[in-house]
Amino acid sequence: MAETLLELDDVHTFIGQHHILQGVTLAVRRDAVTVLLGRNGAGKTTTLRTIVGLLRPARGSVRLEGRPIHGLRPHAIVRRGIGFVPEGQGIFATLTVDENLRVARLGSDAGAPARLARVFELFPDLARFRAARAGTLSGGQKQMLSIARALVNPNRLLLVDEPSKGLAPIVIEHLVEALRAMKAHATVLLVEQNFAMAQALADDFYLIDDGRTVHHGPMAALVADDALKKRYLGI
Amino acid sequence: MRRAAPAALVVGLALLPLAAIEPRVYLTLTIAGLAMGMLIFLVAAGLTLIFGLMDVLNFAHGALFSWGAYAGFTVLVLLNERLGWAEAPSLGLNALLLLAAVAAAMAVGLVLGVVLERVIVRPVYGRHMFQILITLGATIVLEELIRIGWGPNDQVLPVPFTFQGSWDLADVIVLRFPVVAIVLGLVVYGAIALVLRRTRVGLIVRAGVENGEMIQVLGHDIHRYFTGVFAAGSALAGLGGLMWAIFSQSVRPAMGGEQLIFAFIVVIIGGLGSVSGSLLGALIVGLSYNYVAFLLPKAAIGVNMALMVVILLLRPAGLFGSGK
Amino acid sequence: MSAPARATPVAAARAAARARRWRRPTLWGRLALLAALAAVPLVPSFQLLDLALKIAVFAALVASYDVLIGYTGIVSFGHAMFFGFGAYGAALAVARFGGPTWGDLGLGLAAAVGVSALVSVAIGAFSLRVKAIFFAMITLAFAEFALILAVQLGPLTGGEDGLSPRFPGALGHRLGAYYAICAVVTVLFAAMSRFVASPLGRVLQAIRDNELRAEALGFRTFVYQSAASCFASVVATVLGGCYAVWVGYVNPESTLGIHIMLDILLMVIIGGIGTLWGGIIGAGFLLTAQAFLPNLRGLGAALLPGSDLAVRLTERWPLYFGILFILVVFFFPKGVVGSLRETLARRR
Repeated sequence: MAETLLELDDVHTFIGQHHILQGVTLAVRRDAVTVLLGRNGAGKTTTLRTIVGLLRPARGSVRLEGRPIHGLRPHAIVRRGIGFVPEGQGIFATLTVDENLRVARLGSDAGAPARLARVFELFPDLARFRAARAGTLSGGQKQMLSIARALVNPNRLLLVDEPSKGLAPIVIEHLVEALRAMKAHATVLLVEQNFAMAQALADDFYLIDDGRTVHHGPMAALVADDALKKRYLGI
Repeated sequence: MRRAAPAALVVGLALLPLAAIEPRVYLTLTIAGLAMGMLIFLVAAGLTLIFGLMDVLNFAHGALFSWGAYAGFTVLVLLNERLGWAEAPSLGLNALLLLAAVAAAMAVGLVLGVVLERVIVRPVYGRHMFQILITLGATIVLEELIRIGWGPNDQVLPVPFTFQGSWDLADVIVLRFPVVAIVLGLVVYGAIALVLRRTRVGLIVRAGVENGEMIQVLGHDIHRYFTGVFAAGSALAGLGGLMWAIFSQSVRPAMGGEQLIFAFIVVIIGGLGSVSGSLLGALIVGLSYNYVAFLLPKAAIGVNMALMVVILLLRPAGLFGSGK
Repeated sequence: MSAPARATPVAAARAAARARRWRRPTLWGRLALLAALAAVPLVPSFQLLDLALKIAVFAALVASYDVLIGYTGIVSFGHAMFFGFGAYGAALAVARFGGPTWGDLGLGLAAAVGVSALVSVAIGAFSLRVKAIFFAMITLAFAEFALILAVQLGPLTGGEDGLSPRFPGALGHRLGAYYAICAVVTVLFAAMSRFVASPLGRVLQAIRDNELRAEALGFRTFVYQSAASCFASVVATVLGGCYAVWVGYVNPESTLGIHIMLDILLMVIIGGIGTLWGGIIGAGFLLTAQAFLPNLRGLGAALLPGSDLAVRLTERWPLYFGILFILVVFFFPKGVVGSLRETLARRR
């Protein structure tokens, strides 16, 4: 039985006075892609932000490989091997592509050059525009850069938030291919509204509604369950 | 393209008065203006980085300016009284004295900056109104401590001998100290630019200025960088204070507060978070102040206000601002 | 009157609040305060009279600043400037442009009010273009500029020495001036109170809490903010005129200086931001302290004779105000009245 890499246990998170997460419990299987699905405002992005430490859970625990990470500051959490690809990409527009990658790199171990090479292999556009200011890239290229930054370090877990947002279908196809290629090397927790993309990539799913995890299981089961899809995703 | 236009503005502005002032006076004024600009730049550079990275409005910056001036002043007076280094007509001794005063000013600025950041500023991250209020309170306390420690009156500062007076180059009077100030300002700018563009720390600070949250989730302890930038900015403020004190040959407890307004105007003109913007803004302010003071003395103070208004109308984010 | 069955929830709430008004203890408290104010001249002490009046004027000034910062959410450092406009308006009209007549005084005040309204709207025109922080710094720059102007335009304003105008009629006598100014202050407080409770005031609070949402709801925030800014400035201007009438002396440092702005900030913090009436407590505390602190100097010299440091430490009482300021901001960010209201609300 594959190990659990990341565990959330009854996590409650407040933003100001709003009780956004009202009991999120999930387990992310090692070396698999788990997708978080749910309507707008259900709390998917808040879940990722809580995991990575930008928000502190008021209740509950977050464990990485069994060790608690809730309450730590973001930089400490991320250094345990988590790569975060936020919604809206979060790239530094005034820095070059190369500088964006450099600022993400947290240490130079033996594997660093190989990882960088693989990044350029996955995203050839980035190699081509290495010296360009990141703000001049297209939407799809920015997304690639954001993902690339998470691959520069030996991260075991990747948190990816709505990578397909605002991208044209043909770009999304390329994205899916790149993410599929990454699957072999990392565990991914993906948040996606685009069901087709989720279906193409995910092994497991969790449904979030009103800040609570309401359903989970293998992705194939969700694909087959029309009632569930209609109820929580409106599709 | 974006950067060429403001630079052209400065050059154009600098050349304009040639129409109304004869060349020799013009040169003297230009040097005075550049020097004044450089001194304001020293204060503004720290202020703009602190705001750009930490989103902190530091009204206590002026007090750091004053404390740096007084620290350097104390060194100058002590070393002069005991060893006569200021009065000695030796470049070597004078330079050493200046270096000692600079070191004192920057050290005091740095230490005070670290204390301020930890004790006063950190508890109010993210709450602008309280930052303004609390740094204002800190300013009052720091200023009063100066009055208690050194007395409330203006005091004359012993300027090292070789930095006094002027050179006479082909009938043009070139004051010595302003030239020192200009050179120092350029050196500081060069150093900051080098650190920002070529070092890893600079890279992280630049990225943090653009997106503080992202830099944290990429694994960097932003609080350490906050303290570092605040300390560096404070040290620069202290340096600026000392230089200004030598420039005006006196120290006053309220000197920081007065210069702070200039620095704020420069930061607004240049764009929050942009050091190059601060340099350009400071030069514009310094030059225009001196030219106008010569041509129409009463209008001199109004010039800075008018400049700020005009630039804000054309570019609300400042010359090099990123629209934060 | 619409039938109760047709009344909307909002109208019903308003009617209920109106009915409650006469039973609330705060109203009686305010009336008591007013009575005390009117009774002060009975005590034969000029110092007390002077203090009471200054507290009244500054309480109103702080309240007007609170309208800006607490109810509308605009942080400005130029408020003292409008106070100075009023003082100079009154003084210039009576001393330079006319004589000590009611007409000239009225004209001077009206002119000052006009200038303040224009300037506040002009400065407000910036607020759309720049961020809040810029705005605060810009107002500070304008305030400094006004101060420098006052000093520079010597022939007109008397430069650093200022003007010493004589005011007409009853205003020339202490008692007459006292009651006249108290009456004005009372009217202004009532006006401000109605302003923040009015529909306009409620929109302002909505804008303060969430500007984007207010815009989305269709309110042109800029118009409302300008209106509030204008109102607050005009009140400050009138108070400046009152101050000039009472003190009989107007100079840049005492009416346009930055320390007035700092005093206002300290008073509003102590009293509580967003609590209009907190200004009374803030002004009362600070001005009373400032009146009695010089006596501390003697205390210091008496306790530790011959110690220069002790003298200096007790002499520089602004130091303690600075420390107090920081402590209040840290521990009582809502000020006295604000914290009181919170504790009372929680008990209910």
